[in-house]
Amino acid sequence: MKHVLIFKTNVESEEQLQQAALLLDANGSILKWNIDREDIDRVLRIESTLANMYDIMKVMVDAGFLCEELTD
Amino acid sequence: MNVHLYLPIMRIKDEQKIDAIHEKAVETIVKYGFDGLSMQKLAKAANVSPATIYIYFKDRDDLIQQVATKEAAKMVEASLKGFDATMPFAEGLTIQWKNRAKYWLKHPQQAKFLEQVRHSPVGEEVYSKVKKEFSLVMSEFVKGAVKRRELIKLPIEVYWAVAFAPFYQLVKFHDDGKSMSGQPFKWSDAYMNQTLKLVIKALTP
Repeated sequence: MKHVLIFKTNVESEEQLQQAALLLDANGSILKWNIDREDIDRVLRIESTLANMYDIMKVMVDAGFLCEELTD
Repeated sequence: MNVHLYLPIMRIKDEQKIDAIHEKAVETIVKYGFDGLSMQKLAKAANVSPATIYIYFKDRDDLIQQVATKEAAKMVEASLKGFDATMPFAEGLTIQWKNRAKYWLKHPQQAKFLEQVRHSPVGEEVYSKVKKEFSLVMSEFVKGAVKRRELIKLPIEVYWAVAFAPFYQLVKFHDDGKSMSGQPFKWSDAYMNQTLKLVIKALTP
């Protein structure tokens, strides 16, 4: 089953994006991800095999990023 | 604590929401252009949350592309309804005009949206996919008509400028609500048929 997880972040610069990419690419449960830096919420969208978003949030927050779930 | 947004795609796939997003995206782009569309604004207009939009679309470009692809497919389907590439030329062209008129009058927003897409970088990609089938059918139609001596052999641009540009000029008058002289203008089948008759006459050997 594929899950779509949506987060609000503060990933703005190209450098930050590269840094986030390292973290996200390393996560085995992530099938696809992208960050819409055009949006005010710099939305991180993840397609994942897992429904659990806390691991991802923790990894991002530990690296110094803002990463909150974007609620419906 | 908030309700977490980790529902599986299948469960939350809500056609009505997607339709609303599509519809409002088309509306917004027609009104304000591509740059006038943001996910936040769209969410408000479609009465959904930004998070919902992001479930279905990666970003703005992805959204525009998906919406355009869907609309282009609908337009092609409408244009080809009841049409067959082997039809006699006059009959085939008449169906083309009627189908296009029906589409434009029924879906003016979508038609304008597709015009905008056609003239944008997104257009290339969208149209290369959808248009293939359409172009094939149309070129087969023209080739057959020339072969049967029902149509003068012309460069394709000249053919199009005679066969369809008059139609789109009438559509434009209708859309503007007035003609070049500023006189009020409203679409009518009588105008269309009169113009079409002249077009067929001009294109017949």
